[in-house]
Order: sequence, then C-alpha cells, then structure tokens
Amino acid sequence: MKDIKSILKKRIVILDGATATELQKRGMPQGASPESWCLKNADIISAVHKDYKKAGADIVYTCTFGANRIKLKEHGLDNVTKINRQIALIARNAVGGNTIIAGDIGPTGKFIEPFGHLKFEQAVKVYKEQVKGLLSGGVDIFIIETMIDIQEARAALIAVKEITDKFTMVTMTYENSGRTLGGTDPITALVTLQSLGADAVGCNCSAGPRQMMDFIKLMKPYARVPLIAKPNAGIPKLIKGQTIFNMGPKEFASSGREFISWGVNMLGGCCGTTPEHIKQLKRKISDIRPLSRKEKRVSVLSSARKTIFIDSKTPMLIAGECINPTGKKDLKQELRQGKTSIVCELAKKQERNGAGLLDVNVGVSGIDEKDTLRNIIGLLSVISELPLIIDSARPEAIEAALRIYPGRALINSISAEKGKLKKLLSIAAKYGAMFIALALDEKGIPDTFEKRKKIIEYIVSQARPNGFNKEDIIVDGITMTVSSHPEQARETIKTISWCSRIFNINTVIGLSNISFGLPKRSWVNAAYLAMAQAEGLSMVIANPFKEEIINIKKASDVLTGKDKNALSFISHFRESSSPNTGKSFASDMRYEAAELFTAITDGNREGVETIVDEAVKSGIDPRKLVDVMTLAINNVGDLFDKKEYFLPQLIASAEAMKTSFKRLEPFLKKDISAKAKKTVVILATVKGDVHDIGKNIVALMLKNHGFSVIDLGKDISPAKIIEQIKRHKSPIVGLSALMTTTMVNMKEVTTMARKQRLNCRFVVGGAVVTKSYACSIGAEYADNGVDAVRVVKRLR
Amino acid sequence: MKVVFFDTITVSLPKDKIYSRLGYSKGKTQLKDRQKEVVERYIEDALDFINLKGAGRRVPVAEISPESITLSGGNALKSKSLVKLFSKCSEILFMGATAGKKVVEVIEKNSAGKDITSAVIFDAVASEMVDGALDWIMGYFGQQIRRENKYVVERRFSAGYGDFLLDSQKVMCDILEIDKLGVVLSKEFILLPEKSVTAVAGIMEG
Repeated sequence: MKDIKSILKKRIVILDGATATELQKRGMPQGASPESWCLKNADIISAVHKDYKKAGADIVYTCTFGANRIKLKEHGLDNVTKINRQIALIARNAVGGNTIIAGDIGPTGKFIEPFGHLKFEQAVKVYKEQVKGLLSGGVDIFIIETMIDIQEARAALIAVKEITDKFTMVTMTYENSGRTLGGTDPITALVTLQSLGADAVGCNCSAGPRQMMDFIKLMKPYARVPLIAKPNAGIPKLIKGQTIFNMGPKEFASSGREFISWGVNMLGGCCGTTPEHIKQLKRKISDIRPLSRKEKRVSVLSSARKTIFIDSKTPMLIAGECINPTGKKDLKQELRQGKTSIVCELAKKQERNGAGLLDVNVGVSGIDEKDTLRNIIGLLSVISELPLIIDSARPEAIEAALRIYPGRALINSISAEKGKLKKLLSIAAKYGAMFIALALDEKGIPDTFEKRKKIIEYIVSQARPNGFNKEDIIVDGITMTVSSHPEQARETIKTISWCSRIFNINTVIGLSNISFGLPKRSWVNAAYLAMAQAEGLSMVIANPFKEEIINIKKASDVLTGKDKNALSFISHFRESSSPNTGKSFASDMRYEAAELFTAITDGNREGVETIVDEAVKSGIDPRKLVDVMTLAINNVGDLFDKKEYFLPQLIASAEAMKTSFKRLEPFLKKDISAKAKKTVVILATVKGDVHDIGKNIVALMLKNHGFSVIDLGKDISPAKIIEQIKRHKSPIVGLSALMTTTMVNMKEVTTMARKQRLNCRFVVGGAVVTKSYACSIGAEYADNGVDAVRVVKRLR
Repeated sequence: MKVVFFDTITVSLPKDKIYSRLGYSKGKTQLKDRQKEVVERYIEDALDFINLKGAGRRVPVAEISPESITLSGGNALKSKSLVKLFSKCSEILFMGATAGKKVVEVIEKNSAGKDITSAVIFDAVASEMVDGALDWIMGYFGQQIRRENKYVVERRFSAGYGDFLLDSQKVMCDILEIDKLGVVLSKEFILLPEKSVTAVAGIMEG
C-alpha cells in the first residue's frame, strides 16, 4: 500500500469523485440504501472504484457513507459491522493493494448534544461500531465527510482516534454563507479538528470549485495539516425542471492548479463528478508540487462558531471572570439546584461588555463538579459564541468538559505539581486544548521571578513531548494580593516581561486578586493592568463590567501599539455624532426647552424626566413645554416620512414624549378645558387576530397628539366594538388586522355600524390591509403610525 | 417519511434583515451612536427570549391536477400557483419553525405600554430569526437528500399568499405534527405563539 504521508510530502494526492451519483447512473434506484444495494450489486460498485483508480485516484472511498447504525436503521438494516466489513472488502478487491482505501464515515442525520438530542457518548459509540467494521474490512485510512455539525465531526474523530492511529481526514460542508448549518466557519473547523487530531482537514460537497477555493484560502494560513478539497461539479442549476451540474470534466479540472496555488494538498470531486472529471484533474495537475506549508504559528482558541487569536500585535483579550461562584451566594445556590439562569445571564452580559472569552468555574461544595462543569460548558457552547476557559482543579472535571466542548478550549490551569502535570498534559493533548501554565509546584508559589521562570521552563519542556508548542501555552504570571505581599506585584510584572520579551510566550493574569482587602479596588486593578499591559500581557481574567478596567485596557492597547490608529479606542469613546435632527428648531429655544426638544427627537426615554424637571424649575410655562414637545414629535414624524428615521427611532421618540407628558401632568392639571376638548378614538384589533403591535404603536402616537384613546385590545368582536362606540360616542374608530382570514371581520364592523346608523368614521390598517380594501368597506386607510395620526387629524 | 424535529437551530443574527424590516434605509436613515446602541442592545436582548425550534418532513407527491397537489397519504394542497411551481417535484418539503412562547409574551407585555420600542425590535428580530430557521431547515434537508441526487428548490411558500389560502395551514400543521413544537392553530388559521411559520418547498430529482 502507498503511504499517504510520504505521498503528501511529494505531490498532490488525488481523491476519487462522486459515488452516489455514479451508482444512480449505473442503475441504483432512487431512495435505495446505497450500502444495501452495493452488497447486492458488488460488481457495479467495484466498477465505480476501478474506474476511479484508472482515472488516477490515489484514494478511493468505501461506499459506507450511511453505514452507521442510525442511518442503516432507516433502511431496516442492523448488522453494522458486517456491512462495513463487506463493503470495505469489495473496495479492496476492486482496486488491489496499491490504492489507498479510505473508510468513509458520514453523518447520522441527528444533531449531537449540546446542539441536539443525540448524546455525545452515544454518537461516539455509533461511530466506533462503524470504525471497527471498516477496520476489519482492511481500510487503510479514514475519511469523515460531509459533516454539517462540528460536534458530530468531533464525535466521529474521537471514535476513530480511540480505536486506531490510522490517518484520518475530516471534511465539512459549508453553505453559501460560508458556514456549516451549525454556524461553523472553515477556520474554526480547521482549528478545532486539527487540534483534536485530524491528520487532514478540508471541505466537500455543497460548493463548486470556485466557492470552495475561498474556503481553502481562508484555512491555509492556519493549517498545520494537509488541506482537502472535494468540490461538486459546479453549482447545480435548474434547467427545464431538471437539476444539472453543468461543469464538465475539463472545466472542473481547470480549477486544479488554482486550488494548489492556494494550498490544497488533496483534491477530488463530490456530487456530479465522474471518473472523467478525476482523469482530467489528474492530467492537469500531475506536474505541480504542493505549496510548501507556511502556516502561521498562532495561539488560537475556538468555540463552535468563532475563532480567536492571541498574539502580541492585537489588542489584549479580556476573559470574563464572572462565572465563578466564589463570593457569589446566588450563583452558588443556583449551581447546587442544578439551575443555569444566572450563568446564562452572566455569559451574555460579559460578552456584551467586551469579554473575548469566558472563564468557567463551577467549584462549589456539595455538587458533582464533573457533571456540573460538563453541563454548563455544553450550555454555554450553545448560547455564546465566545471560546471558553475550563477552570477547575479536578482533572476528571476538565476532561469531561473538554470532551463535550465543540471547539478548542483553554484549560485553567496546569501547574508543575508532579501528580497533576503529567495527567493534565495528557488530557490537554488528547483533546487538543491550549492550557494556562501556572508557575507553581508542590512547594507552592515561588516568591521570586527567577524561581517562577524555572517552573515555567520546566512545564514547557514537559509539554513538548505531548505535541505542544509555545503557541499552545499561556503563562500565568500569578497575581498575589498587594496588601499582604507588597513585593510580589513587581515579581509578577517581571515574569510577564520575561515571557513576552525573551521567552516569547503569551501571558495571562487573574487581575482581581491584586487589590483584595483594599478600598476602591477597581483603581488598583486598573493601574496594575496598565503596568502589565506595558510589559506585553496577552490576556487578563477580569470583570468586564468594571468601566475602569475596560477603559484602561482600551487606552493601553493604543499606547502599546495594539490598537492601530486608535480605532477601537475612538469607537469606544466616540462622542455622539449629530445628524440633522432638528438643530435649527432647537437653536431658537431657551436652553432647557431645547434640551427637551432634543431629548424627544433623540428618543432619550431615560433622561427626559430630569430634563422636564429642569425646564419647569427654570420657569418655563408648562404649556410652552407642551408646544416644544409637539414640535419635536412633529419633527420626528417628518424625519420618519423622509426615512431619515426608522421605526425604533419613531417609537422611542413617542415614548420619550409620553414620559414627558406624564411628568408634566401635575403642572397642567389646572388646564381642564384642554382635557375636555380631546377627541375620543377607539382602537381595536379585530376578532380572531392576535397581532396588535401596530395598533399599540398607533395608540401611543395618537395619545401624543392629544387624542383620548380607548384601546379595546385584540381579538375583539364586532358587537363589543359597536357597543364601545355607542358608549363613548366616539367619532373615530381605528381597526387593525394582520391576516387575510381576520381582515374580513373589519367589514363586519363597518357594516354593523352602518346598519345601526352610527355616525363614526373608520380608519383601518395592518399588514394585509390595502387602500382599496379600506375603500371597499367604507373606511379610510393608514399605512403606519405617522400616517394614522395624519388621517385621524383630518377626520377630527 | 417521519417528521424530523429540531430542538436547537443555530441561526446567525440577520442584522441587515432586521434593520431593513424596521424600515432602515441605507444612505437615508441616520442613527446617532446612542440610538444605535439602544437598537443593538434590544436586538441582543431579544435573543435571550428566542428559542428556535423547528420541524420538517418530506412527503412524496402522489398526483398533480391542474388545481391541486395530492400527497402520498391523501392530503392535498390546493393552489394553482403551487401546482405550476411544483409540477416537476417528486416530493414536497414541509417545514415549520417557531421562536417560542417567551419572546411573544415579552413582546405583548412590552407593547402594551411598558416599552414599545423594545417590543417593535423584538418583534422584528423574532420574525427574522424564524425566517432564518426555515432557511436552516431547508439547508438541513438539502444536505440530507443530496446523496439521493435530489435537491430542495430554493423558493418556499407560506399559506396566506396568492391562491395558497391560509386554511392550508391545517394540512401543513397536521403533516408537521406542529403541536409537538408547542404551536397550535387557531380557528382563523393563525399559528400561536405568534412568531411561528410554516412553509413548503419542492424537492426535485437531479
């Protein structure tokens, strides 16, 4: 048998083309199980394999794409081991010993936890069963292909790696968006899979050569392993009702050279490709050598949907420290009860406040830390895009979390303590995790930089045989409490400096400990952070809710040259720019009135009450303030009409106006006559319809324009609407409906009103309502909230 | 074939579509930083209340007449437009998705006066996320059937448009066993909770 690794060093490896479409061409009926059919038609699948070998394929895939227990069950088959063995043997018999046979593993069609119901260990078990069958059939290598879920790809890869050390390729399938259905992008998939031990990574299916080339381009700079491309024969097109792959063999093959120039190492075809496509491809690229690998040595972490890089040139990362029960009574209680709402909230809030990754520690007495950590890591993998730091002192909890985590995690931490070092390094290596090296050993935390340096060098030297490079390690400088160990603050800074300037390794500190026991801790934390950043700190584990920390980090990023042109800093502190939203009106007013005008125009709902108070205090007549507010809301209406404002701005302004009115009410109470003059408008969403947000907007707008609104709510019967019109003697009635089936109930209301000779006018609106429909039922039509005000004012 | 239920659907936040749904006009609409912050915060907040779930089912076409498509099992979709569009399809993909009860409850509560701005934004986010979930379901089935040399035709249709009347929701909901998603159909053929959608797309043989 050819040795795949030695071929990869010399030339491009040619993979086979499509199997399923070839089998269909050769008589396999639609809907048949390819595995079952192949066993009954061994001569035909053998012919397909032979044709691909003849075309020049170095590797042929066994026809076992759906030969896992879950897929076979759909076709009433259950002898997984036997089916895989026999199909692998067919392939071997067809191509002989000189062609590499790849045992093909495809998706189960289920989503794996934490993204779906199929338990991760169940998925691993399902794949192990298939792997054993393929091995007994004599496959040389494995291909895990057409994966749409990174977690399923991980389960399959772990299954293979726990049984054999055979070369294993993994290819994912990306949608037009450039992500898998699960939301994983090519770089993230590469980072996760190559860290987990895939020997080659790439993509197949879904895309034609052109689009797939883009995925290869993205991956190449970070690829430590050979890259695979197996594109379709172009993008399928619908021609005269038939789906056609329109890329012929020559056109398909012409993309080969470009693929190689972007760094692909293994090239074949997927749907729509034939032996002729592979033959032409082989011809086109036989004289080209693969691109020499120029992967960037990067520190990189991933979640299922995001990759982050840690390096000396980009802004320092903040790892949110808040998912940690230490000192948090409510979180402790929640973890003990097996609940997760606080954890979810903390994760989301930290992400919003600028955390680049999340530290997860669930160490509480009285719980099963292994189970809890595993569950929380699974949960956070679904709700947050941020890569996670698995923070535990228990190796078994760390392993359980790493196994379920659908990305490349960071372990916090591995020290030089003899019992733990070896064990944790082996766990980290198995799951391809990065780790934080903690400069301490059995004797505790060294008091000097020199002693810490020795421990760091020792940990790194012990990690190397496990396959770790410096890029895979982040050194914790160890922050001691400055109030009790004043001299230690400098030692930590020295450690950071040495790591970043001489030893060339990334660094992290857990910041908050520095200020323990001191008042105004945030300032001490911020100052220490600035000092550490100046020495090259790569990451800080800190509380992202502290403004001082975020601001100092942003400023230090500028000063250390990590925020080019201070773009991030400027964006963080940018003063509000002022579009032309009524400045000319405001400039003619007294300061306090102008403030009110601006607050309403800007929809400043939080600040408007104070502004009203200030304006009243300054002596402005409250009635004048009403005029200012009316002017402002009319201005907003104009901006909305011109599309300079969109719906949220319109509503926010309307709500700011409502709040202002409420605040002014006590000062306006004497003006009873104005209240008495208000026109009553009845609003209702008609019977059967529950969509009333539009009606609520109209109510808000009308109230702001001085109408007395009686909002009957939604799903209101015609009889009730009529009764209310009579009761309030309302001259104007607004009706809304969103669906065609409920819109007809508007007519029932207008007809009933006419029959009872009610002297009121109707205004109707809603998604499906049109002007002509309004006309047909004798009503006016309003297109939106602003228009409704206009129409109602006209009818008044 | 059986209904496939999806308990977790991952959809990238379709911000452009959300802004567009809310009336944002590129080059015209002007947002101050503070206003943008509020909008963005509400968009993020909405995600806390959205729990996308879905279902999909492939149903073979038994017969196509000029006015309706009869499905294997006897159900029929009555619509001349659908007949025209699905005339070459061997199967119909039925799909449904919901953003769940929670977001609708929050929208209702906030829209009733508490915070209409947030309600309007939550409403748009939920609508677009559910739409994205249908894209996702189509993508899932597209992947599953590719090896059978079949393809999901890109366009999908929901009842209530043209001559594909809203009462077809009944057949669609029955086929999808939509109640298992926590969704019910009202007498007026409205899906409840509100942010729930069903649709059909054609499946063609390659």
